[in-house]
Amino acid sequence: MTDLPSAALPATATQPASRTPLPLCLVLLLAAAALAGADLAARLPAAQWLPALFAPAADDMRQLLLHFSWLPRLCMAALCGAALALAGTLMQQVLRNPLASPGTLGVASGAQLALALATLWAPQLLVDGREWVALAGGGLATLLVFALAWRRGLAPLTVILAGLVVGLYLGALAKGLMLAREQDLSAVFIWGSGSLSQNGWQGVTFLLPRLAVALLLLLPLLRPLALLELDDSGARSLGVPLGLLRFIGLALAVYVSACVTSSVGVIGFIGLAAPAIARLLGARRFGQRLLWAPLLGAALLLLTDLTIQRLAGPLAELLPTGAATALLGAPLLLWLLPRLQLTGGRPQPAAGAAAWRHPRPRQRLALLGALLLLGVPLALGVGQGLHGWGWQLDGALLDWRLPRVVVALAAGVLLALAGTLVQRLTANPMASPEVLGLGASAALGLVALLFLLPGAGLALKLPLGAGGALAVLLLIVAMSHRSGFAPERVLLIGIALTAFFDALQVILLAGGDPRGQSLLGWMSGSTYFVDAPTAWTLLAGALLLLAATLPCARWLELLPLGEGSARALGVPLGRSRLCLLLLAALMTAGATLVVGPLSFVGLLAPHLARLLGLTRALPQLLGASLLGALTLLLADWLGRNLLFPLQLPAGLLASLVGGAYFMFCLGRR
Amino acid sequence: MRALFAALLLALATPLAAAPPQRIATVDWGLAETLLGLGVTPVGVAQLDGYRRWVGAPALPAEVVDLGLRVEPNLELLAELKPELILISPQFENARPRLERIAPVQSLALFTPDGEAYSGAQRVVRELAGLLGREAAGEALIARVDARLAAVRARLAEHPQPPLYVASFLDARHVRLFGAQSLYQGVLERVGLQNAWCGRTNYWGFAQVGIERLAERPEAALLYLEPLPPDAARGLAASPLWQRLPLVRAGRAHALPPVWSFNGLLAAERFAGLLEAQLTATPPSDSARPQP
Repeated sequence: MTDLPSAALPATATQPASRTPLPLCLVLLLAAAALAGADLAARLPAAQWLPALFAPAADDMRQLLLHFSWLPRLCMAALCGAALALAGTLMQQVLRNPLASPGTLGVASGAQLALALATLWAPQLLVDGREWVALAGGGLATLLVFALAWRRGLAPLTVILAGLVVGLYLGALAKGLMLAREQDLSAVFIWGSGSLSQNGWQGVTFLLPRLAVALLLLLPLLRPLALLELDDSGARSLGVPLGLLRFIGLALAVYVSACVTSSVGVIGFIGLAAPAIARLLGARRFGQRLLWAPLLGAALLLLTDLTIQRLAGPLAELLPTGAATALLGAPLLLWLLPRLQLTGGRPQPAAGAAAWRHPRPRQRLALLGALLLLGVPLALGVGQGLHGWGWQLDGALLDWRLPRVVVALAAGVLLALAGTLVQRLTANPMASPEVLGLGASAALGLVALLFLLPGAGLALKLPLGAGGALAVLLLIVAMSHRSGFAPERVLLIGIALTAFFDALQVILLAGGDPRGQSLLGWMSGSTYFVDAPTAWTLLAGALLLLAATLPCARWLELLPLGEGSARALGVPLGRSRLCLLLLAALMTAGATLVVGPLSFVGLLAPHLARLLGLTRALPQLLGASLLGALTLLLADWLGRNLLFPLQLPAGLLASLVGGAYFMFCLGRR
Repeated sequence: MRALFAALLLALATPLAAAPPQRIATVDWGLAETLLGLGVTPVGVAQLDGYRRWVGAPALPAEVVDLGLRVEPNLELLAELKPELILISPQFENARPRLERIAPVQSLALFTPDGEAYSGAQRVVRELAGLLGREAAGEALIARVDARLAAVRARLAEHPQPPLYVASFLDARHVRLFGAQSLYQGVLERVGLQNAWCGRTNYWGFAQVGIERLAERPEAALLYLEPLPPDAARGLAASPLWQRLPLVRAGRAHALPPVWSFNGLLAAERFAGLLEAQLTATPPSDSARPQP
């Protein structure tokens, strides 16, 4: 990840010294205070406020509610907002990555999975303290991230990559559990959507001392952490033990965010947005951000929660606070983006890129092709039925299996290609169709359709899904036109959109809407609903798009070198990027339409290709396509047979199979 | 004489014209329950383990085949079972094109956006009985449950009751309150009880709220369905607000054995029986049960 040049030059006078986040902070806090005041006035006459807040009459329910529900909720909102912002600031500093946040390290996914597992198989653990279960899950997830990035000295890029992969992996596992055991896990759904509802001071007394301890531990680290704004060699020359410092910084941040998530659930976006806004509004130095980001975070979450309570009625019951912050936060970030001073187009430090190149890529490609040719008949013929395992390649069964296999192949190719394009385009191995927001936006279009016109056919789904992806594409074009599609900007837009979609999904699931469950199946990437004509159409489309991409190999080779070099070598920057983005959008939309925004293949396949030594653009494109097809083929087969008769979505299995292998490779390097 | 002949002819002709389907598969637990109530054992039901854990009664015989996920029933397996009719409910509608390649698909809605669940359950019994040529069994089932509710109503008339919250706890902070359109609402109305929750409800007839909302009707009582989530009992015991809720302090919070809240007429019958048992039991000594 690119360091922020502005952060490295704290003392330069390019910024007027008067810019501080103070005005915004004040506005937000005043708005929150006004809302809280109005709320209070509606509940009790002013004369009773003080006694109600501090010593409620035991027989007055209104006073009791104020004291044991309203006030603790207010305090929790402020505390959680501040804590998450603090964690985000710390992570962004340690990882030198403006996109780092508690969500990026898999803390939330780890905690959620641990809670789901405990609910199903060790409910006694929850009786003894759900906080600790969540804490253990979040902590273990982070340890796994650290373990994966250990060999690279916890290099920022590797940590983020590992965090993303671990988060997706654990999230996929939790989704699988929810698919099969929906009824048992309704509490986990609620927790996943972050509810601040309180009925006593237990939450505050849990969180406050833990935050205080974390802050105390942070104090002696302030100066060395500030030095992390230099690049690695600079910081090392000043005598900072980088690995240790990063480890402690991250551990503190994870501890704080796990405490928050364990007591109120997953509160999206505050940890990412608050530090970003603070930086944007002039908090240049680490110390400044450490002060302003928590203030902003507290104000943001307070305002969000009060607004939601204010709305009352139908919406308040349907809209959990944690999901709402993500809903509100995404447009906010989109508004902020053009104002965020990020430079783009610089080549990345070598942290994430494997340099090893296979001497005979053709041999590798032929091997992969042979594997695929062998795999397809196996996936078609081997399976379980009423009377157990069997090998059958006749008409009746083929009728059911062929469309699924074909569509798995097609979606694998499409996602792998889109992933390769996006990763090369942004010179960022973190990128994938999902991070770009294309999968999410295509899915948004389809979700809208599911609710407005249930049972609509493909003729309607295709344009709507593609329309969603293209709308995002246009947004990206509009928002990043001036900067010539700077990679960071594109990624940020994508992450904001993905967060928005995630929030929507969480609300659907938490609200108990009956359509939520089938949505969950589809969003996990199920090949179930695909019929034969659709499957073959998609495969033809995938091959066409592959053919269309191959001539772009030269661009893909040169663009990762950076804007200057690419332009010098004769690549038309704007045009080539637009063209490649368009291709990626089409591919993602096509794959999303039938198998949901599963995306992991888009992240995984290009990486696997590179790990196999297919580093140049053309072999990587072909290799990734084959690997993507293979991965989804295997995933679909496993999904159909692993828990027979229960069939798991292929996308889910792809994340599990591919993710495990990916983590293995990442940790071994 | 002529009428008799016509009736005889009709009686002969009907089964010849369309023999009612015998092999029936369903993805919906409520429909599975209703089938059993009509004396029909389905050949396949989706997510059997879930049915056994959450619905429980009436029990499904061991020979019923598990069809996998309710949202995505296993097509290969379903085709192998050769059902003559597949029953779904509207929320599984997107699987219809796939299922129709195996057997005729019939969608029956226990819950409708504007309807009431109890009469919905009665309607589903009639529709299903019609499909299966078991009209007599259907009417008998409806009459039996109606009579049961009337009997419970008569019993409860001797025990005046406060308004009731019917709830299931999600954790120590959140509760589902069943209200308008829920199956329980229909039962409460028919046995002469008043639901304390008059707020909005979702498609399934419940609202998901924080437990502080239980303070809104101080005079009400609370019936909460078991099983209680693992950590809820302890969390509630530690919650000062819960301990101070009027209905808790007055000992008006009671547990009910499990009922599947989203099923049909048999679940309604079971719920009415549990209501009767709970509410006509010897009046609880006040504050004997300060917490669940």
